[in-house]
Amino acid sequence: MELTTPGVATLSRDPDEPARGAGDAETADVALAASGDGRAFERLYRAHVARVHSLARRMIGFDVADDVTQDVFVRAWTKLGTFRGEAAFGTWLHRLAINVILARRTSLGTERGRYHDGADVLDAVPSRPVVNDLSLDFQEAIGRLPDGAREVFVLHDLEGYKHEEIASMLGIVPGTSKSQLHHARMTLRKHLDR
Amino acid sequence: MNVAAVVALVVTQQTDTTVPVRAGMRLDVENFGGEIVVRAWNQNSVRVQATHSSRDRIDVSAERTTVNVRAESRRGLAQMVEYQITAPTWMPLNLHGVSTDIEVDGTQAAITAETVQGELKVRGGSGQLSLKSVQGAVKLQNAKGHIDVYSVNEGLTLENVNGDISAETVSGDVTLQGIESANVEVNTVSGDVHYDGTIKDGGHYRFATHNGDVTLAVPERANVTVSVATFNGDFDSCFPVSVTTTTKHRFSFTIGSGSARLELETFNGDIKLCRPGQLHDKHHDDQEDN
Amino acid sequence: MTRDQWTDRLSEYLDGDLGIAERAALEAHVASCPACEAILAELRRVVARAQAIDDQPPTTDLWPAIAQQIGVSSGGEPHGVVSLAARRARRRLSFTVPQLAAAAAVLLLLGSGGAYLTLQRGTSPVPPLPAPIAGARTGRGPTTTLVGWEKTRAKYDVAVAELESALEQGRKSGRLDSATVRVLDQSLVTIDSAIVQARRALAADPGSVYLNQHLADTMRRKLELLRRASAFAPART
Repeated sequence: MELTTPGVATLSRDPDEPARGAGDAETADVALAASGDGRAFERLYRAHVARVHSLARRMIGFDVADDVTQDVFVRAWTKLGTFRGEAAFGTWLHRLAINVILARRTSLGTERGRYHDGADVLDAVPSRPVVNDLSLDFQEAIGRLPDGAREVFVLHDLEGYKHEEIASMLGIVPGTSKSQLHHARMTLRKHLDR
Repeated sequence: MNVAAVVALVVTQQTDTTVPVRAGMRLDVENFGGEIVVRAWNQNSVRVQATHSSRDRIDVSAERTTVNVRAESRRGLAQMVEYQITAPTWMPLNLHGVSTDIEVDGTQAAITAETVQGELKVRGGSGQLSLKSVQGAVKLQNAKGHIDVYSVNEGLTLENVNGDISAETVSGDVTLQGIESANVEVNTVSGDVHYDGTIKDGGHYRFATHNGDVTLAVPERANVTVSVATFNGDFDSCFPVSVTTTTKHRFSFTIGSGSARLELETFNGDIKLCRPGQLHDKHHDDQEDN
Repeated sequence: MTRDQWTDRLSEYLDGDLGIAERAALEAHVASCPACEAILAELRRVVARAQAIDDQPPTTDLWPAIAQQIGVSSGGEPHGVVSLAARRARRRLSFTVPQLAAAAAVLLLLGSGGAYLTLQRGTSPVPPLPAPIAGARTGRGPTTTLVGWEKTRAKYDVAVAELESALEQGRKSGRLDSATVRVLDQSLVTIDSAIVQARRALAADPGSVYLNQHLADTMRRKLELLRRASAFAPART
């Protein structure tokens, strides 16, 4: 029985922490925020909102990105006490954001039928690419990919996760993750900036 | 305890005193640093063997109702004494330490044991059993009675214990194994809670943590109304349950006639129910989701 | 293998996911297949292009909405460098979350065994909380006294302050060594953090009986720890 959002696999990776001059100052802000300091939390928000919002935009779309981002930070505030400093705050927040996004996607009922297992992936997607307007720029083209391919592409090529990690996050097998990625790249090559 | 080494640096001295006691008396020991080990025998006397600094004197005094054991120092400084005490099985024990490990074996009477920094290990005991440590694990085995165990930052372990149980810690796991009880209350703020024992008809059981999982073995023929509450966690059961009432963050269900009451709460952790014996095989492989 | 089948492996090749034999075979094929080579070059550009995408902030500032949801002032609150103790004190003093106070009046009974809080919302009392299990020891009576939230908080604060000062005496007397003091501090931080979490959850969901009870229990736990710790402190003279 699932009471809350689906548990999402733990990731072994530590994505590169952006050089924000964070370090000690951020650690202090995390501690302050955990003890209820709203201003410290606002600084954390300012430092990380672009990354979270971009992830949300790419994963789930522009329409709900604002809403999801708010949700991520509200949840982060609630859960800050569980952050034990084993990973960088940015990494923790990023994982939290992915969890929130995946939970939201589930609640939007968009998770069904997004993956096509096995070697048939290219056959299973429409023969006419979903992204067929060559005037789309690269980023718009990412947004127009089928859900499954887009999620895998974003997580792998933009966020740097490995197939095994993506597979466990999305509840698919690594082979599906690989074929979805390839499908996404094959589609996107038609939208490279000329 | 590394106190022994410290004691060895100054000139150590052995004290060995035996005093006769009669039924109705209790033993009262205070120690600052070192250890208090009490073993039980079937003689009506208390033997106190102590290893201590030559600057300290061990005072064993039998009054009307109490045998008091104290160390006195000429300079009035903190004493470090290792006590090996043998007392009658029937004799209630009152043991206090500061930086002191306390160990009791074989007593069949009430025990109060408190230490600030040190482990508490008790095998045996009956009646009022109160074991408290700030910094140090508390372990109680083969005891029965009214049991109250408390630690601040270490775990609590109870094995083969019979009676009313209250176990509370701030940071530490609470593990209750082989319990025979109709009244159990367990609280921790940051730690897992594990219970494997009886669920008796009409009994009351409450297991609560803030950051931690709660796992429970529910016997096959239990009759219990279960109330589950979690804010950020999941609920999982090895056997089917049908939820009767649900409110936000809380739901309940009934097993059998439902005559016992069981409350399971964790703010950030998961709750898992299994049958006895299943919990060890089915380790949670879920990880923290963030 | 057909050309399509070779093409299918190009991403794996790019990502270094092929075995040595497959890799060699694919390289040999690509060398003899200009179309494959062109696709491979494009896929490389896709990967490079993806990696070059910058993060962009949202077009509107989301902070005011977030601040409102979590119950902090969107202007933030001033702070400087503060000690742990001062932070704890500040937390205690800032205990009133406006939404919480507005939504709930919490009752507190400071009994011999600790505090027992229950909840009243608005003008109509919520159904009574499940009575605490007749615990082995807790001394939490079934009776509660109705007092306002402010009064409750004041009582709680006084009790906490008194106990903290008793504990401070124990520290000063040197009977508690620094390791123990640290453990007590950490434990208080652990409880405070649980209290903060429960408060936040409650601020977002003031009607939850579980959260109200959990907050009350956690606050009681803090009192209990302070009470016990201050009793430990002057244990010997």
